[in-house]
Amino acid sequence: MRKRWLAVAVCLFALALFAGARMRRLHEPRFPHLSELKTGPFAFQDASLAIAGFRAPAADLAWIQFLQYAAGDIPQYVDRPGHAYEHLGAMSQRVLRLDPSFYRATLFAAGMLAWFHGVDQPDEAADLLNEGMRLSPEQPMYSLYLAALAYKKKGDTQRMIDLLESSFDLPQTPSTMKAILANLRQSRGEYRQALGLWERILNSERDRAEHGRAKDKITELKTLIAAGAAKKR
Amino acid sequence: MQTISAVFSYTLKEHLRRKAWLFAALFGLVLLGGALIVSALGADERARLLLDLGLAAIEAISLVSVVFLTVNLILSEIESRAIFLILSHPVRRADYLLGRFLGTVAAVTLGMAGMALMHMAILSLYGWWEPGRYLAALVCLLGKTGVMGALSLLLSLALTSEAAAMAFAVFLWMLGHFSSEMRFLADRSGSAFMKTTLIAFSHAAPDFAHFNYRDFWHQAAPGAEWLMWAGVYALAYTAACLALSVQLFEQKEF
Repeated sequence: MRKRWLAVAVCLFALALFAGARMRRLHEPRFPHLSELKTGPFAFQDASLAIAGFRAPAADLAWIQFLQYAAGDIPQYVDRPGHAYEHLGAMSQRVLRLDPSFYRATLFAAGMLAWFHGVDQPDEAADLLNEGMRLSPEQPMYSLYLAALAYKKKGDTQRMIDLLESSFDLPQTPSTMKAILANLRQSRGEYRQALGLWERILNSERDRAEHGRAKDKITELKTLIAAGAAKKR
Repeated sequence: MQTISAVFSYTLKEHLRRKAWLFAALFGLVLLGGALIVSALGADERARLLLDLGLAAIEAISLVSVVFLTVNLILSEIESRAIFLILSHPVRRADYLLGRFLGTVAAVTLGMAGMALMHMAILSLYGWWEPGRYLAALVCLLGKTGVMGALSLLLSLALTSEAAAMAFAVFLWMLGHFSSEMRFLADRSGSAFMKTTLIAFSHAAPDFAHFNYRDFWHQAAPGAEWLMWAGVYALAYTAACLALSVQLFEQKEF
């Protein structure tokens, strides 16, 4: 009688074990193991947050650090002279391995590595997309970007742009990638198409971060189109 | 039942009067404000950052509050000798412990609800609105808080030292999030002893890795059946820890 609560606890613990097994069978969170996390100056930050069960916030912080690095230098990652953005690939892999479901960050980073002016690291972009496909095979945008990268390497810019534009309105497409695409159109002298893309960015609530730039670009492109029309006349 | 309800309401009132609890709630609001500022750096991922960092802040504050409050729950009453007065009345020790625990969890839940309301209001300002999934994440968070509360109470009665109980509670919290890693290590291990030990630990520690809805929010959402089993798991684990606590409490001589 003195041990009745102990017996109750054992029964309840057995029920908990059974429920836990059912729970694990129904849903397994897909996170790479801790041994797969990127080493480097932020390894301690990443590992401690992951161990405490804060993987998504850890990926968010890694993403902010990625953006800070892309915007300039951060003390932990200093580029060697003549090797601009040399840590961009490693920093984007870090975000991906912390939370593989942060698709927009991976696509943003891949877009930046492959198409951003002054970066030009298509091999790192391909590595990142391949890693993304390994961790999230159900995400179709990774293969689409890989195909676009292949066209870029072949020099087939038109097909590359057409392919990227086919995903323009999909929710996973990052706003920056849309801006890159519009700028690509503009650099090819396709002002009307570029204007159309910027207008779509301006009309999309999701791309609020690019609205300021979109307004400026629309004004600039309208002027260029008007100047072109005047020249023809 | 009447005794449980009386102890419950007295515990709830006691916690609501406590300044430490109010400081925790205030600190939670400051963390939510911090999430608002940090998320501004996240370019077009602001809503995601606000969601993740806000939920993480709510969880961190709930964890600290529940561990701190439950560890002190009985020990402080023993120290102040108030427990002699209570137990001199016709109060069953199990009822007293359950009322105290439920009152504490209710106080922490109120704090969580306040923070969650504020968090949702901020999120809705940024065009984010998924109340169903948010509620599921909060329920899982509450389950984790309940399990941690029961574990802390058990540890405080078993170790009779506040500092040791808190340290062990935090250790078990970490171990709980490490459960899938322990199973992975057990799979890789060549030693049968190591394998058995790791599997035993992964089952004994609360399985927070599979309970962390907040963390795998952005992956494919688990279904209603998963939620039901997760609920059964949290309730059974909490009740098992409470039953062990009652066993220890009944054996104590006052």
